[in-house]
Amino acid sequence: MERDPSKFWNPYLAGVALGLVLLTSFVVMGNGLGASGASLRIGVAALGAVAPSAVEQAPGLAKAWSHGHPFDFWLVFEVLGVALGGFVGAYTSGRLKGETLRAPGFPRGRRLLFALGGGVLMGAAARVGRGCTSGQALSGGAMLSAGSWAFMLSFFLGGYAVAYLVRRQWR
Amino acid sequence: MTTFPFWSLAAENRELGLIAGVLIGFGFGFVLERAGFGRAQKLMGQFYGNDMTVLKVMFGAIVTAILGSVVLSGAGLMDLRAVADYATSETFLWPMVVAGFALGVGFVVSGYCPGTSVVAMASGKVDGLMTVVGVVVGQVAWTWIETVPAIARFQNSSNLGHVYLYELLHLPPRVGPAVVALAVVAIAIGAFLAAERIERALARPEQAPAPARGPARLVFAGFAAFAAVGLATLALPTGTAARPAAPAPLSPLDLARRVLDEPWKVRVVDLRPMAECAARRVPGSECVPADQLAKLHLADANGARDLVLVAGADLAAVPPAAAGYPGKVRALQGGFPAWEAFALRAPEPPAPGAAPEERELYRLRAGMAAAMTGVKAAPPPPMPSGDAPPPRKKGGGGCGG
Repeated sequence: MERDPSKFWNPYLAGVALGLVLLTSFVVMGNGLGASGASLRIGVAALGAVAPSAVEQAPGLAKAWSHGHPFDFWLVFEVLGVALGGFVGAYTSGRLKGETLRAPGFPRGRRLLFALGGGVLMGAAARVGRGCTSGQALSGGAMLSAGSWAFMLSFFLGGYAVAYLVRRQWR
Repeated sequence: MTTFPFWSLAAENRELGLIAGVLIGFGFGFVLERAGFGRAQKLMGQFYGNDMTVLKVMFGAIVTAILGSVVLSGAGLMDLRAVADYATSETFLWPMVVAGFALGVGFVVSGYCPGTSVVAMASGKVDGLMTVVGVVVGQVAWTWIETVPAIARFQNSSNLGHVYLYELLHLPPRVGPAVVALAVVAIAIGAFLAAERIERALARPEQAPAPARGPARLVFAGFAAFAAVGLATLALPTGTAARPAAPAPLSPLDLARRVLDEPWKVRVVDLRPMAECAARRVPGSECVPADQLAKLHLADANGARDLVLVAGADLAAVPPAAAGYPGKVRALQGGFPAWEAFALRAPEPPAPGAAPEERELYRLRAGMAAAMTGVKAAPPPPMPSGDAPPPRKKGGGGCGG
């Protein structure tokens, strides 16, 4: 296969493919796709390795800690698959490359700080909202859950609300 | 039961289920990468109008999954409601609106959402790695913050339970999902056409998107064909939708747990003759002989609680008067005799050194029997010394009746 880093799948066909993956997940697992749930388990495992007492004191963490190993959870395995699939996809398309994506001239350090800060905000939001774009908007949306649709509309609204403020990061 | 889902994560085939999880995740990650979702600029084009890939892929995926599940459930191959109740969280309206907004802000600031940041990290993007780290930190840190009473109150406010768009629109449960699915298809196609226009209007000269009209038409035609199949399954009079299905069975043990632990989530209706029901019944149950069931107007009742039907024996079919119940309908497995044998007779104490699950079960059964018959059962044999966790207190709590 020819490797062309600037070539992507047609977005509609990619959407159908993603929908089929999601449908397979519903049929085989009885569950939708997710991402942020695994982050908590990874965080709990990491924190538990250095400071077990801190994990036992936080009620939200103790729950994930006491039921067997924190990695004994299907979303952790699913996210492992996401990383593998992303790696293989990037390798076969020629997009596997160590770099920091940003607009030309935007400072690298500030970009990484933004990435970290945005991540922290999303991690907290995903707990308040019981899921992130994958679990809540995509999977819940496909099951026609009312809360998921409210979440999704609000998600795009939030994005558009601040897009202008951070535009120098991207263009 | 041969209908989907397979429930791959059930205890007996958990290892296989986890392997399936990796494979499904692989497909998820690969498709996201090929759609361009491992690159922040590609994702962010959505918010500057020059590249609406996010909208197209997300809506395309949602439409495909909705149509697929409506067709599968219309053909009787999938229990849509069971999957939906399991796979989605309950609706907490205001927390979700606020969280969605904050997540959208975080998306534009970091350049990724939690899922796509994993793909970006795997394809070598340092900013993707930072976002992954940030999400982990945010998730863990919030578990402390969410214990602050005011925040906990907000986070658990406006809980509407499992509520779906077709219920908000008061559509009948049999056709509601299909009708809303078709509406979503129509909205999605409208959004796709609008997105194409916006892209053409805002395209920057140096990155004019290649016109890809062929595949787009193909996909639209595919959606239309699937929608037609979905409609056709609605029209089938012999589909499972129209057949009075045998109610999902509920074992006496599960009923006991639910009656004791969360009685507010079940509505137990005893269909036996009044005299038998008046003598002995499941705690909290209503005595409604089968011929008077229509008087409850179950089709108009609130479906938030699961309806559990208790008969003299196994129920072969849901009575017509209960078929319209908007929530889930379960039937007590084995009828009341099974309950009597399970909950109203003192159980045999487990042997010393029995497994914790067995001891737990014994405590529950003994508590039930004691609460309902007034006869105390022997306490379970002492725990073997060791590091086994102390058994949770269960049973015997003020629900006896």
